[in-house]
Amino acid sequence: MIWQQLANGIAVGSVYALISLGLTMVYGILRILHVAHAGIYTLGAYVGLVAFRLVDHFWLSLVAGMVGAAVAGYLVERLLYMPILHMPRIAPLIVSIGLFTAMEEAFRIAAGPHTLVYNAKVGLGELTIGGFRLTETQVLILLVTFLILLFLWLFLTRTKMGLAMRACALDTETASTFGVNVNAVIAVNFIIGSFMAGAAGVLIGVYDNQVWPTMGSIPAYKALAIVVLGGLGNIPGTVLASLIVGLAETFFIGVLSVPFPRDAIAFIAMILVLMFRPYGLLGKA
Amino acid sequence: MGKHACWSLCLLAGVLMVFSNVGPTAAQETLKIGFFAPITGPAAADGMSAKNAVELAVQEVNAGGGIKGKKVELIVYDDRLKAEEAVAIANKLIEKDKVVGVVSGSYSGPTRVVAPILQKAGMPMVAGYAVHPDVTWNPNTKTPNDFIFRNGFLGEIEGAAAAEFAVKDLKAKRMAIIAMDNDFGRSISAGFADRAEKLGATILTKQMYKFPGEKDFRPYLTTIKEGNPDVIFAAGYYNEAASIVRQAKELGIKSQILGEEGFDSPKFLEIAGEAAEGVIIATNLDRDDPRPVVQNFLKNYRAAYGHDADMVGASSYDAFMILADAIKKAGTDPKAIQKALLETKDYDGLTGKISRFVQGEVVKPVQIQIVKEGKFRRKAIIDNPEIITPPKKS
Repeated sequence: MIWQQLANGIAVGSVYALISLGLTMVYGILRILHVAHAGIYTLGAYVGLVAFRLVDHFWLSLVAGMVGAAVAGYLVERLLYMPILHMPRIAPLIVSIGLFTAMEEAFRIAAGPHTLVYNAKVGLGELTIGGFRLTETQVLILLVTFLILLFLWLFLTRTKMGLAMRACALDTETASTFGVNVNAVIAVNFIIGSFMAGAAGVLIGVYDNQVWPTMGSIPAYKALAIVVLGGLGNIPGTVLASLIVGLAETFFIGVLSVPFPRDAIAFIAMILVLMFRPYGLLGKA
Repeated sequence: MGKHACWSLCLLAGVLMVFSNVGPTAAQETLKIGFFAPITGPAAADGMSAKNAVELAVQEVNAGGGIKGKKVELIVYDDRLKAEEAVAIANKLIEKDKVVGVVSGSYSGPTRVVAPILQKAGMPMVAGYAVHPDVTWNPNTKTPNDFIFRNGFLGEIEGAAAAEFAVKDLKAKRMAIIAMDNDFGRSISAGFADRAEKLGATILTKQMYKFPGEKDFRPYLTTIKEGNPDVIFAAGYYNEAASIVRQAKELGIKSQILGEEGFDSPKFLEIAGEAAEGVIIATNLDRDDPRPVVQNFLKNYRAAYGHDADMVGASSYDAFMILADAIKKAGTDPKAIQKALLETKDYDGLTGKISRFVQGEVVKPVQIQIVKEGKFRRKAIIDNPEIITPPKKS
């Protein structure tokens, strides 16, 4: 049973990682709390679902959801954040919260208040070893998350753009004096972050078999807690924090049967870690 | 004062006169009945179902000449499943709309907020399917809300009926419970656990999940699977119910899943898909009841809205018809309506034959339905008086 709960926890943690990474990357470069990222995640789920209903093919719909979210993320950056970047950072935060609320309402108006089903045949099959069983959707989540993280790691460590992104995260001004095109880096940053959020939206849509207008409201604040827990702007820290939160939630409610709302656990973990490590798990002063 | 101001005042007075004339004449023509349901928000499917069904009932009453020659006008409010909305709705119904009576097509949360306000104003209400005891009872003053009547079952009664069926018909001995942590989940699972233990069954584990918000039930179900129970009693609304049923199947759980009226929605069947097959529920509507009131409703609802009716709609329809029937008998005086409701006897309702109301609580059999080929079908009827008679409140 412990193994089964481990699988449950890692699956949830993987999705948290996909959502939180975009948030931490945006913060790393722009120092903006991009709350509307959770709206991009929901948008990814809806785009994926619409694509699935049109072409009836899961993998194509996953790609559609990711691309749709990436385009939306890019537009948000160009049209909303860019013009106000010279203002204090509270301004983009307000814009972001407003946009998130507007997006939730837009989904409700466009797709209705009801839960829609994302009943896709993934075609992967489940993995059973003795009493331990990785369900088909858990196999899917682990596989997709692994591939995306691998891609992200290769991109950040093996490409010029990745190097530029890491340089900007350290110090944007110095990076730009060395000839880094900061605007392009910011755009790529949003595109990759949103791409991952879109994947998370589709994966959760299939994992829960449900897509609904306010599906981003809990991730909106939970991802913030995870990002702080991991060390703001720290990519490996965010992945680690996501897995810890996913596992902690699963074990608290499933094994210890603590009568405790699961969504509070990310915050408790955050508070505990900040008491001893003020810059997060892997963050540096 | 200038000439313009004088003219404006005259105009304003004229406008006011026109409006004040329209008001009373319109009110004399129709008989207003208030209605509220969660038409948007997390329970939107149930809210719409209740609204659709009650509007169908209004059409039927009006087609038959209305009540005492007056057409019924339904005043509809959306409570969005929020208690704070419900307060405003109750006050509007009393003060602004001046309705004759109210029908609740909503859950316990909003309904138990509206109930004491209507009780204080002396306005009768019939609740369609809210399950919480405090709809008909004021826990602060420890007195009954005697203007409030309920067509649905108390959570405890429905839970007990499910346990009766599990032990006596399914011969289950080992039970696990997974219930939502709100009024509904707590009362219905408590009723189940009490009755099951009284009949000698064991409750292996009771898992409570957060509502709203929980979507991933795998941690709970993994723990439940460990005990390998005969029956898993699941208490929740259709979204949660569907996720539980699907995820249980994914995890390879073979135990019989037994649900309650929260499952009774086309949305449950849609979201759960094939995993719904064989799920048994305790509810308040028997689709295979041959009485014309049932079959006509099912047929008319389908014709009007293009999908099948559910328990929520049927119970709300009944609630409206029970209130309309009382107004037909007693007129529009609230005290007289209350008396007529108290005197209800062997009423031929859509959701079963109502023998009477006891302290506002309905007395009628609980329906056990099973999902077969994507539809709810009759499985059994629990009419043991020990179970369906509501407990005396004090």
